[in-house]
Amino acid sequence: MSALAGTVKGWFREIVADWDRFWFTPVDPATLSLIRVFAGAMLLYTHGVWSLKLESFFGADGWLMPDAVHAFHREMHTWSYFWWLRTPGQLWGAHLAAIVVFAMLTVGLFSRVVAPLAAIATLSYIQRVPGALFGLDQINALLAIYLCLGPCGARYSFDHWLAKRRGVGLVAVEPSIAANIAIRLIQLHMCVIYLFAGTSKLMGLAWWNGFAMWLALGNYEYQSLDMTWLAHWPRTVSLLSHVTIFWETFYCLLIWSKRWRPVMLILAILLHMGIAICLGMMTFGLVMLIGNLAFVSPLLVQRMLAGRGGAVAPQSRADLEGA
Amino acid sequence: MSGLVAFHLFAVFVGPWAAIREQTSPLAADCRRLVAPYVDALYLGNGYRFFAPEPGPSHLVKYDLTLPGGQTLSGHFPDRAARQPRLLYHRYFMLSETLNTLYTPDKNAPGRAVFDRYVRSYARHLLLAHQAANVRLTLVEHRIAAIEDIQRGKVSLADANLFEELPLGTFSEDDR
Repeated sequence: MSALAGTVKGWFREIVADWDRFWFTPVDPATLSLIRVFAGAMLLYTHGVWSLKLESFFGADGWLMPDAVHAFHREMHTWSYFWWLRTPGQLWGAHLAAIVVFAMLTVGLFSRVVAPLAAIATLSYIQRVPGALFGLDQINALLAIYLCLGPCGARYSFDHWLAKRRGVGLVAVEPSIAANIAIRLIQLHMCVIYLFAGTSKLMGLAWWNGFAMWLALGNYEYQSLDMTWLAHWPRTVSLLSHVTIFWETFYCLLIWSKRWRPVMLILAILLHMGIAICLGMMTFGLVMLIGNLAFVSPLLVQRMLAGRGGAVAPQSRADLEGA
Repeated sequence: MSGLVAFHLFAVFVGPWAAIREQTSPLAADCRRLVAPYVDALYLGNGYRFFAPEPGPSHLVKYDLTLPGGQTLSGHFPDRAARQPRLLYHRYFMLSETLNTLYTPDKNAPGRAVFDRYVRSYARHLLLAHQAANVRLTLVEHRIAAIEDIQRGKVSLADANLFEELPLGTFSEDDR
């Protein structure tokens, strides 16, 4: 009995140690900083496009009038600062302020301050216009939230450049537990997204008989590149359908394997760029790839961008193991 | 810190697990209730059901406006010709898709009131934007051509037979 108790205790101790190692190992913030650059640019573009029809969507007389939005959000706990804005002047003032925040996040200027502001702004836009949203907004929101948690401006930023100017010589970037937590949360969130994207397709006949990809590519309103010729290549359509659902369903397992990770990331690029180019969702395709960047190790990021982010930080175990 | 991380991960999983009320188990619904304010506030309650259970037809909203002088003006959204950049086109596309998602033929169904408010909201916006006397709205379903029909050269993707209309009503200045 005591042997069994000892085994259980040892097993439990190992789980706790694995948990601590997974979450609380300091890593170089290179990957998080690179995600900040791309996610910031995507937030800037996404909200910049709202400028073209700001009052039509966010004004009191817009497509989604307050009573309709409140009915949609009934029994939900949502909040948006847009409900405080009464005049077109206030609306434009808040919008321009948000654009400045997103621009500052992209270039990494006062990152620790503008990252939470960017998250608040992103959620406020989202909660004001339910009905005009799609996957892009879901990923924008999660990236904005997780960027708040770590030192996202530690590299590839004006913050780093200014620190170097103020200091003498190169300013070392320290490995950070907060950077690891932010990256781990992005990784796990991406796994949850793909798990539900894959398993929810299992209910659809077209994903089993192989014609699902035709139903997507043959959708005239989505189509941005004419792929109608694929109708004459039914086995290719089937292959694309089956690979998509297998890849999505098993992503949450295989992405953690060092051997499979490059394969899963290459498939991510092919799938999301396919969506971007053929189905007219360039922003969605790109933002999913920004999320996938969380699986690229800080060391690899530093190597790819050598000379742009300052000195290479002391390498942690997680860096060397590819996170 | 571990507790906060675990709580957040629980919410991240529960969000999509209980995203669609009709497809949610009692257990998932109970879990959702535990973290509802957090999930709603951080916009974690999405199903992530991209093209699931399978890609379906797309939907458009057609509008016919009568202007004060008696002239008429018609249009539809999303409009591939009129909305650039593509992201803006997609915003309009989501407006029409949301209307279809909210639609239920049963006028007494619980979600029907939200659908009615959305229709009125679109109508009021069009009336105000064009200073129109009335507007007639129609939800148009555009079915996807069968792969066999394309192979045989019988139809094109935009074939007129693939469109089906659902009248939503006519709205006037009183509905503003």
